[in-house]
Amino acid sequence: MTLARSDAAPFIASPSGVPDLETLYRAHAPTVARWAARLAGPLVDVDDLVHEIFLVVQRRLPEFRGEAKVTTWLYRITERVAQESRRKDRFRRWFSGARHLEIQRTMAPPHLTPVDELEQRQSGEMVYRILDRLPGKYRNVLILYELEELSGEEIATLTGLKPATVWVHLHRARARFIAEMKRDSGRST
Amino acid sequence: MKEPTARSKQTHTDERTPIRHRWTAQPSGDSDEALAGALLRSAKVVLPFGTKNLAEVAARLRTRERRLSRKWAWQIAIAVGLLLFGGAVSAAVMHFLRGPSVGPSPPDTQVSMPASGTVPRRHRPVAPPPASAISQVPEPTPVSGGSLELVPGKAPPEPPPAPLANPSALAQESRLLARAIHKLRQERNPGQALAMLDQHRARFGANGALEPEAKVTRIEALLRLGRHDQALGLLDAQSLTAAGVGREMLVARAELRAEKGRCGSALNDFNLLLAAEAPSDLVTERALYGRATCRAQQGDWAGARTDLEHYLARFPKGRFADQARTAIGK
Repeated sequence: MTLARSDAAPFIASPSGVPDLETLYRAHAPTVARWAARLAGPLVDVDDLVHEIFLVVQRRLPEFRGEAKVTTWLYRITERVAQESRRKDRFRRWFSGARHLEIQRTMAPPHLTPVDELEQRQSGEMVYRILDRLPGKYRNVLILYELEELSGEEIATLTGLKPATVWVHLHRARARFIAEMKRDSGRST
Repeated sequence: MKEPTARSKQTHTDERTPIRHRWTAQPSGDSDEALAGALLRSAKVVLPFGTKNLAEVAARLRTRERRLSRKWAWQIAIAVGLLLFGGAVSAAVMHFLRGPSVGPSPPDTQVSMPASGTVPRRHRPVAPPPASAISQVPEPTPVSGGSLELVPGKAPPEPPPAPLANPSALAQESRLLARAIHKLRQERNPGQALAMLDQHRARFGANGALEPEAKVTRIEALLRLGRHDQALGLLDAQSLTAAGVGREMLVARAELRAEKGRCGSALNDFNLLLAAEAPSDLVTERALYGRATCRAQQGDWAGARTDLEHYLARFPKGRFADQARTAIGK
């Protein structure tokens, strides 16, 4: 499980008790990058997003007192930065007039043929088009469960929700996803 | 408080039941879940954040440098978007050039080409342009009833008084300007129109009786020739107020300024237009959308979003409604 992997990373506090940025970065950057790619969707530049996230981490590090798990804290920052990035991206697409920006290669595995890659990109784009029509709380839980393959308990730990709430959100997210998927396929036929 | 029914209680209890199987782990099939699973699987693969990425971002964090190249790409994207406003700008300036009416017109009159009654009296010798001449205007704007106001507080242009000190000079000036307008609007020859306006300037100078009209005709000609910089130069020199047709000049200037990346001064114009209780007309519509564009360009996403929400509330079927909805994800 990805969360377990992230939590297993050694968390080293500086002598003052406050974790230092470099330690956090080395231990958690790959996990944060994966969350960011998942939450923000295929149109983002993950490097830029990770940079933004760790700039926030750096700024807010003195406020972190270890009351929450470090992964929970990092996830919340990632969630907010990714949300802001999606919002900006919508504006960018709007201003540039480009309805279909070139999808970053974050979603495409390198071994695919160009045709496979195109299909994969289109499907990936469709998935995020549907996900973006879901309320944020449902969208993110569905992403964590289906794409990040976290368990309900892990999602609860990460998001700070109660496990029962996670399941409620997930049931509703699934129902909305199916409805939106049908609406999309109805449009395309 | 309404008591939950047995059915809603049951639904809620069902929703709290843990889900045992992921869609993405389901085999292919025709069921909704299987189709959703197949779709989600396609979005599952994420390239690992490798050592190279780690090192790159770490270096940026150390120097706290942002990727300027990306920032510039973003600025260029905005500039492309703003270029689309060019048409609207041309239409705006052409509108006030075309039709400052002397007599009162119905307040709700919304026409895209001037009727003979809307042609200024001093331009009466010129026939109103045919529809074909107007059709080249990218985005026709409605004609409002006010008069052209280049200087704050200046009274609307009145018809010349009956006893003229030098009627022949005014008649000559009027004829020359009328020919320039004819060239511009009917013969669609802005180059020749501009040449005639140069003649006008050479003969009558900056103190000609019809100099304000000549100036706005010049702006129109420059816009038709795509010489936006020069048109903006003339508009920049004007002191404009958010009243009457001056509003339209103001919005045109703001759009031109925005197009040139001068969002700071464009925002001043947009703010001036939107500060007072702006009527729900095309000028307000353009000003709201334009201000959103500038705010977004300056990184004020919250302000841009607020403007777009106001835009959609006031102009749900406006010309930029689709773009506004896309931008705010509605």
